[in-house]
Amino acid sequence: MSTTAMARPRSAGPGAAGNGKVSFMGVLRSEFIKFSSLLSTLILVLATIVVMVGIAAVVSWGIGFSLEMAAESPEMAAEMGDLGGIAATLPASGLVFAQLIVGALAVMVMSSEFTTGSARSTFVAVPNRQMVFWAKALMITIVAAVVALVSILLSFLVVKPIVGHYNLDIDFSSEAFQRSLWFSVLYVVMVALIGMALGGLLRNSAGGIVVLAALFFVLPMAMGGFSTMVDWLAKAMRFLPDQAGTALTQLTVAPGGLEQWQNGLLMAAWSLIPLILAAIVLQRRDI
Amino acid sequence: MITAEALTKNYGVKRAVDSVSFTVQPGKVTGFLGPNGAGKSTTMRMIVGLDRPSTGTVTVNGRKYGEHAAPLREVGALLEAKSVHKSRSARTHLRSLAATHSIPNARVDEVIELTGLSAVATKKVGGFSLGMGQRLGIAVALLGDPQTLILDEPVNGLDPEGVQWVRHLARQQAAQGKTVFISSHLMSEMALTADHLIIIGRGRIIADAPIEQVISGQNLPTARVKTDDADALMNALLGENIQVTRLDAETISVVGLDGRTIAQRALDHNILLHELTPQQQSLEEAYMALTQNDVEYHSSLGQQAFAGTNGKQA
Repeated sequence: MSTTAMARPRSAGPGAAGNGKVSFMGVLRSEFIKFSSLLSTLILVLATIVVMVGIAAVVSWGIGFSLEMAAESPEMAAEMGDLGGIAATLPASGLVFAQLIVGALAVMVMSSEFTTGSARSTFVAVPNRQMVFWAKALMITIVAAVVALVSILLSFLVVKPIVGHYNLDIDFSSEAFQRSLWFSVLYVVMVALIGMALGGLLRNSAGGIVVLAALFFVLPMAMGGFSTMVDWLAKAMRFLPDQAGTALTQLTVAPGGLEQWQNGLLMAAWSLIPLILAAIVLQRRDI
Repeated sequence: MITAEALTKNYGVKRAVDSVSFTVQPGKVTGFLGPNGAGKSTTMRMIVGLDRPSTGTVTVNGRKYGEHAAPLREVGALLEAKSVHKSRSARTHLRSLAATHSIPNARVDEVIELTGLSAVATKKVGGFSLGMGQRLGIAVALLGDPQTLILDEPVNGLDPEGVQWVRHLARQQAAQGKTVFISSHLMSEMALTADHLIIIGRGRIIADAPIEQVISGQNLPTARVKTDDADALMNALLGENIQVTRLDAETISVVGLDGRTIAQRALDHNILLHELTPQQQSLEEAYMALTQNDVEYHSSLGQQAFAGTNGKQA
């Protein structure tokens, strides 16, 4: 490029930039452009779907295989109980693993703004930090919900013929499947919102993902391990987000578990409180 | 127009910007000159609301930046090159920012062409040179066709051609009646670009004067004054075209008044002076004196690096 070419007067007069103002829809659109323009996010979204469908298929096959074994020994069949109820939750069985991918993705949506410095561009364009924050939260909610929904529906299509082979059936309109489907979607949204909050609070991808993994994997496992020895741990454990969230996907409440409405409240609290905290911190801290 | 009033920013115990007041007028290029770490970037970040002032206010065209309905149309800011996700392309970055203000994609293509980025618009920003990063930052600044441009060290990393282009752009925008505020740590660069200079050192404004006054080396009467009541003396001396700078608890530097006037004002206000030293110093000399510390700082860093190399060899 030559100096003269670069220095030429602006081709368009005033108005070339339009006269739009900052709007929530505009900011939401901006967030979707940023999200979809990264190869890494697209790979993670795809990975989530593949993992969900893959695990559902493997688990279904395993259940079916156990059923065949059970048919040969009546004692085992009695032990396993009602498998029709289990079948309904099979399409969502990959949730435990998918949650971490979606959660990590949500952490990075927020933390990468700060680690890459793009936060400067973002918040100069939209100095209303709350508008950016809640547009991001809405974007993440939509992405997480769609990814979970698509994964479970695809899993349903894969699982149905597999369990059919073992004379089990999943009824799409059954209460058990519908409950599993929608509460699993909500569950993934909750994990994503907690992830986004962590990304905003820590402004660090690795830190956010580690805390998220600790909350959803390490803490439940550690507490579960010691709960046989320490009585109150078993009670405290019920308040963890993964316990409340997964309990809601089941038709029946486990013995000693919280009521479903309590689980619902817990899930709402886990989704919103970290997020609100992160919104307040974003408002106060310098970019 | 940018108006800062008693703008102060503390980072912990460190005071990065210390009660700074100035006005950046439209229709001319105002240079913001100071050594590295003087508080230029912090001041600029406060103008666009990235940093919150500890005390004081700063407004753009009469309002705080965040209160404008269309901030990108009001102010275009280049704060740091590569304020972009490395894996994103220049075009996507610009489109994502344009979307917030519903700026048409045609304008995105226009600023890409204007900044000479057409050939690399779809490439990932991570692979950009510093110069290309600066061009992208300037493209972002121009996106909303704003009335005010704030450019923090825009020529950093640019090739000579790019430097000339930024100069031309700044002058052109100012000629259109826009407010252009450019920071630099190079007096020589500002001499070629700016109409007016605001010089900052250690978080304080040292000078706020037309460029001719600085360049011609026109010696302003300067004096160093010691008194027990520095605050009262500073108030007594303040006035049009007079710069009063606090050097330490009892020492202040006065530019624009001769020794006799200073003594007279002190007497009028019943303030005791115990030292009054006239100094002949141009603003450029004042600036050079200021950056002297910076140079020493650099050389000590160099020594450390040298020591480090020796360590490796040992």
